Amino acid sequence: MNIALLTSEIAVVILALLIIVFDLLMPRQEARRSLGYFAVCGLLGILVYTFNQHGASATVYHGFFVVDKFALFFKQLFIVATILTLLFSFDYIEGLTHNTGEFYALLLLSLVGMMVMASANDLLTVFVGLELMTIIFYILVGFDLRSSKSSEAGTKYLILGSAASAVLLYGMSWVYGFTGSIVLSEIAAHITASPAMLLGLGLMLAGFCFKMSIVPFHMWAPDVYEGAPIPVTAMLAMASKAAGVAVLLRVFLVAFADLQAYWLTIVSLLAGLSMIVGIIVAIWQTNTKRMLAYSSIAQAGYILSGLLAADAAGVKGMLFYAVLYMVANVGAFAVTTAVNNQYGSDKIDDLSGLSQKSPFLAVVMTVSLLSMAGLPPMAGFVGKMYIFMAITDKGYFWIAMLGLVMSMVSVYYYMLVVKVMYSKEAKNQQEFTASVSLRIVALISLIATLFIGIYPGPLAELANAAARSLW
Amino acid sequence: MIGLVHFLTVAAIVFAIGLYGVLSKRTIVGILMSIELMLNAVNINLIAFSRFITPEVLTGQIFAIFTITVAAAEVAVGMAMIFRVYYDRNTVHAARLDEMRW
Amino acid sequence: MNELIYTVAFYIFAAITVAAAFGVVTKSNLVHSALLLALCFIGVSGLYVLLQADFLAAVQILIYNGAIAIVFVLGTMLTRRSSRHGTNDTEVNIPSRVVTLVSGLFVVVTLGVIATTPWHYSSGVIVEDTPSLLAQLILTDYMVVMEAAAVLLLAAMIGAIVLAKGVEE
Repeated sequence: MNIALLTSEIAVVILALLIIVFDLLMPRQEARRSLGYFAVCGLLGILVYTFNQHGASATVYHGFFVVDKFALFFKQLFIVATILTLLFSFDYIEGLTHNTGEFYALLLLSLVGMMVMASANDLLTVFVGLELMTIIFYILVGFDLRSSKSSEAGTKYLILGSAASAVLLYGMSWVYGFTGSIVLSEIAAHITASPAMLLGLGLMLAGFCFKMSIVPFHMWAPDVYEGAPIPVTAMLAMASKAAGVAVLLRVFLVAFADLQAYWLTIVSLLAGLSMIVGIIVAIWQTNTKRMLAYSSIAQAGYILSGLLAADAAGVKGMLFYAVLYMVANVGAFAVTTAVNNQYGSDKIDDLSGLSQKSPFLAVVMTVSLLSMAGLPPMAGFVGKMYIFMAITDKGYFWIAMLGLVMSMVSVYYYMLVVKVMYSKEAKNQQEFTASVSLRIVALISLIATLFIGIYPGPLAELANAAARSLW
Repeated sequence: MIGLVHFLTVAAIVFAIGLYGVLSKRTIVGILMSIELMLNAVNINLIAFSRFITPEVLTGQIFAIFTITVAAAEVAVGMAMIFRVYYDRNTVHAARLDEMRW
Repeated sequence: MNELIYTVAFYIFAAITVAAAFGVVTKSNLVHSALLLALCFIGVSGLYVLLQADFLAAVQILIYNGAIAIVFVLGTMLTRRSSRHGTNDTEVNIPSRVVTLVSGLFVVVTLGVIATTPWHYSSGVIVEDTPSLLAQLILTDYMVVMEAAAVLLLAAMIGAIVLAKGVEE
């Protein structure tokens, strides 16, 4: 037993509780900006601390909760995503609700859920971590009390999400029933291709795919992304999806590795479908958040296709891609937030004339979108290359080809957005303002996207080490 | 002789009834109730496995306790969300949630 | 003799559970559905007793009947409109035959799975004193999960209050 391994999770919980307490103690009229800064500083401290845990590979109690390089990689990704999201959304959150303190606290608690998922080494911890994250997201999606879209999105997410959880849980019960254990390594030891096992595996795959918004379990994503407040949409796209990937990888590569022959085909079909549907449907979208939702479905397809390799190279590609996708999304959502603060809506049309009003933000948006499309020298190109090389080695050439063709198509619709920014005239001559912290986040996203694209070595090294710790 | 198979059968039927309810009910409250049925089916499964497959370690029963906890939290949030929808639109019909369409 | 009582009790509880569950999804009045849901939960807790999970049976009654069913009834009352009939209609737009077919197919597949799987029955000793063993396990092996569930309940409470309270003007 080693409680010290839980330090980072405990620290985040304490941070959230402190924010709730401070929120109660502060006078009613005072702005809650200081709470946001407090959360960011606290998370920065925890992020620095997590680097201390590197090299450790140990479990709390009988292997139920494991801290290894793989878990740390994802935890750091979640923390960075939360910090950047908080930084670019101070103004937006204050305009959104009076319950700012609760908003920050809930966001941090959902971060705890993700961190638990990254470390979960048994089905029960996976389930509770997943629900901790998801139930808080139901609340956060419906947090905009003045918008009926927000409550609609929250309700849709809650109904579909709960149903998906029930299906996932039913699958877990079969796996437990057949193998007699919920610890992943013991499941792997007792696994055989019996009907109950395959039913459980199928149901669990469906549940995880729902969380990652893989076609055909993606129907919630566009509505929820559109209706949710922007920071919540950003967290759903970056962190929630990455948490789903973390759990999927650990469960399928550690526990179900022996049944590869059964799930590889299904996974390849799901990944292919997600790429096609996500990219084709995105072309007709007029809302920035909805467009990013379909784009995120396609990106989830790319990430999932890395699982086909079922080896360290594929996992490395997936981890690498998760990071660069997070970085690119931070930029896109930061710009969306700035535009929303200005015009109060998130139509793609609202981006028109951005190149004259704020050339810097227009460049950030362009680079982020092109990175998602996979054009060199942006990071997306390298990430796609890693994944496609890994799966081509294992004979999934057709998925790699499909991915290439689809990213060509995606360049088209990302360019449509870029065209709106650069060639359309602005709607009005109002001065365009964006807060300093938002500009800093946009700058970080820009630099990181280009840096990873031109000099991918260090991140690839990290991803590789994390991937290897799974075996 | 009543054995594992009998309990699993009951669970499977209840789960399918819940699934039917989720797909066919028109009010959000009705759908949430159906989801509760599905979760109960899962619990029957878990506890039956706990009794017949791992009687000495009770893994399934512990799993069921956490399922119940999560279900309670889900219902609390779900009801709050339903009140919001009711304030906004004066209805709890799922079909009226149609502001966003592709 | 004991065997017979066990068998009869199983079929009674199973019948209550399945019939009540069926009623929940077919009744067109939400209040009826909510009450049938409570009955279904009681049937399930009877099954738990037969599975020697006495603690779980008590928890089932306390949480599901005492809290969840009540919340459903409360929610139904608070959100109903003038007419109480047809508050829980079945969807007419989706062809209900397809849904029935899907659910029926699911049962058939699952029953097939149950029948064909070689289960690894254990001959281990059944624990008599479940509450103390459960408590011990939850506070040692499953401690992380317990803490996470506690955080979850806190977050759900905060969120439910914020959502239900609404906008302050």
